Amino acid sequence: MNQRLINVLAKIFAIREAEVNLNLRKEDVGSWDSLKQMDLVILLENEYEIALDITDIIQMVSVATIIEVLKKKGVTLED
Amino acid sequence: MKINGAVAVVTGGAKGLGLAIAKLLQLLGATVIVLDYDDKALSELPNDLFGKLVDVTQPESAKLAVSDVIKQYHQIDILINNAGVIYSEPFVNIANASGIMHAYNSFRSSLKFNLDSVFIMTSVVVEQMVMLRTKGVIVNISSISANGNEGQTAYSAAKAAVNALTIVWAKELGRWGIRCNAIAPGFIATESTQQAISKTSLDHVKDNTPLRRLGKPNEVAQAVVSIVENDFITGIILKVDGGLRI
Repeated sequence: MNQRLINVLAKIFAIREAEVNLNLRKEDVGSWDSLKQMDLVILLENEYEIALDITDIIQMVSVATIIEVLKKKGVTLED
Repeated sequence: MKINGAVAVVTGGAKGLGLAIAKLLQLLGATVIVLDYDDKALSELPNDLFGKLVDVTQPESAKLAVSDVIKQYHQIDILINNAGVIYSEPFVNIANASGIMHAYNSFRSSLKFNLDSVFIMTSVVVEQMVMLRTKGVIVNISSISANGNEGQTAYSAAKAAVNALTIVWAKELGRWGIRCNAIAPGFIATESTQQAISKTSLDHVKDNTPLRRLGKPNEVAQAVVSIVENDFITGIILKVDGGLRI
């Protein structure tokens, strides 16, 4: 997985980098509530200089779907 | 935030305190849209203020009005939640033959005008601010009655709730760069104050105010401007009361 994204997600959810993986879902992360979802959106927008719309935000319920959305927005995520 | 060039919505801005706020923001270069349900007062607005007849206690009307503003002006930078109605009724009135206790209907009605309106307008405006990533500012006009004013069960409850909303929203919306503050005026010399409170009571208030007078609407407007302009102020309840509550 892309290290930059791992850093972002670990920071936002206050979890260890080793815990961030493609199978991680919203329900697996205690701190991933609706307020954190807003923090996530803002951090991703700033980090990757993109604009997320409502459908993107709703779609982001796991690390895999976050990657999917970022790629759709043209973000390159090399391992 | 620079007021010059900003788009401001002022609820209940067709007269009194709201009008003073609207005029000062306009004077400082904002485009000001006044939402009010008093069509006569709206018709008498100065030409450089844009008026809309809206009942801000009705979610659909508020949504439609905000949508129209966005279509025309593209974003809203400043929301002043000023609409409200001063209401006094003792909790127990032993002299009232029809029932000695505060009427429930008037309690609910006061909450609708003074609290629901703030929730409704802030909801529809913040939705736009978030969608458009506008780093806006909300200013709620509260009251020193929020501390619990004898004879104002409903009004005090509504304003205390407005203060609570202000703090919650400051915490939640800060991440979007949206600030939320309140101003708690003391007794201000407006038509609605004169209508709602007897001259004897107002004289008593003046005697108990360190500055020995009622406030002027423009002094509240100046406080609004200070809050709007200072980008590091959020979550405060600023008293503008001549020292009445110290």
